Amino acid sequence: MRVTDVRDVPFGEWSSTVLSHREDGYAYFDWLTAVDETDREGDDAGFDVVCHLLDTRVPGALRSVLLRTRVTGGLPVPSLTGIFRGAAWHERETHEMFGIDFDGFDDGSGLGLRPLLLPDGFEGTPLRKSFVLAARASKAWPGAKEPGEGHDSARAPGRRRVQAPGVPGPEWGPR
Amino acid sequence: MEQVPSPVGQQVSQQVSRPAGQPVSLPMPTVGPASMGVLGAHAPKPIKVVLNWGRRYSLWVFNFGLACCAIEFIAASMGRHDFIRLGVIPFAPGPRQADLMVVSGTVTDKMAPAIRRLYDQMPEPKYVISFGACSNSGGPYWDSYSVTKGVDQIVPVDVYVPGCPPRPEALLHGIIRLQEQIAAERLSTQKLKGRYAGTRVGSAGDLRRPLLRRGAKPGEGGR
Repeated sequence: MRVTDVRDVPFGEWSSTVLSHREDGYAYFDWLTAVDETDREGDDAGFDVVCHLLDTRVPGALRSVLLRTRVTGGLPVPSLTGIFRGAAWHERETHEMFGIDFDGFDDGSGLGLRPLLLPDGFEGTPLRKSFVLAARASKAWPGAKEPGEGHDSARAPGRRRVQAPGVPGPEWGPR
Repeated sequence: MEQVPSPVGQQVSQQVSRPAGQPVSLPMPTVGPASMGVLGAHAPKPIKVVLNWGRRYSLWVFNFGLACCAIEFIAASMGRHDFIRLGVIPFAPGPRQADLMVVSGTVTDKMAPAIRRLYDQMPEPKYVISFGACSNSGGPYWDSYSVTKGVDQIVPVDVYVPGCPPRPEALLHGIIRLQEQIAAERLSTQKLKGRYAGTRVGSAGDLRRPLLRRGAKPGEGGR
């Protein structure tokens, strides 16, 4: 479904805002994840934690809201497991994929935040933009990734070079 | 196979005469190293032709469907393409009853140990078809953090079927290629060891567990 209503929430009011939305009728927890915005310029570089809630009270008139807050400085995010029990899996996944800690996480097992999907022994947080992919480090991209690359062109592209997430920088040496 | 004594008739007569409610003591099956017996190694050529002919046209297939390629595999098993006419029998009850494993779909690092274990449980001789770009090489996910770069990193593969996903006709072609390989092969213990060298760690008999017993106390079993 298309998300039309996006509301930015101050970081300190994250769990209270979600709770008030639940009481306003947005009682269906859809999903929670994060977006890596650490390459933003300015002081507010960090992770966006987003949460999608639905209002299913009126049949045929589904309303949805996307709540978003910016987490800077690696602060732990207040956990939503006290408001929506189903947020536990989403917070565990966000924790292992982005390395974000959730304060007060409780899924009833007492085991705390632990990996959900990644295989045992996996190191790193793979959905961060700073995560270097092993395949990219060991093998160059087989085709051209820049316009004008791969064939003899007199007009070299003058625009900014493409830097894809996961591709190691030039300090990793030639590949 | 020849290492296993056949206590079947003896066992049956014991079972018949045993009083009800007593636990059954079943012999632990013993399986030696990978071997096709003396017939596969030293049989004269006409016999080998007959053995290979029987093997190539009764391939019980174990479908390891992991992603969208499994749909194409299922389509190949249905009425229009119908690989049963080639002697490929789908839906084996489990890996221990299968001769051929078709890995169709994206192999992830988390799924890889399960594939390896189920492959080891298949009895020799066993064949693997890698179906689709993902199981051949990782495919479009070649740079992913979680996708294995080809199922041939964990099991030896006989036939690779390219495509994303391949058409069912491509699987039929791969099966015919595999059958040509089976028709030309000589099965001996040395050949099997050479074939699985480097990747092979266990035989079908090594991967087993003790028989499950229902209930701790005698008398609870069988209820």
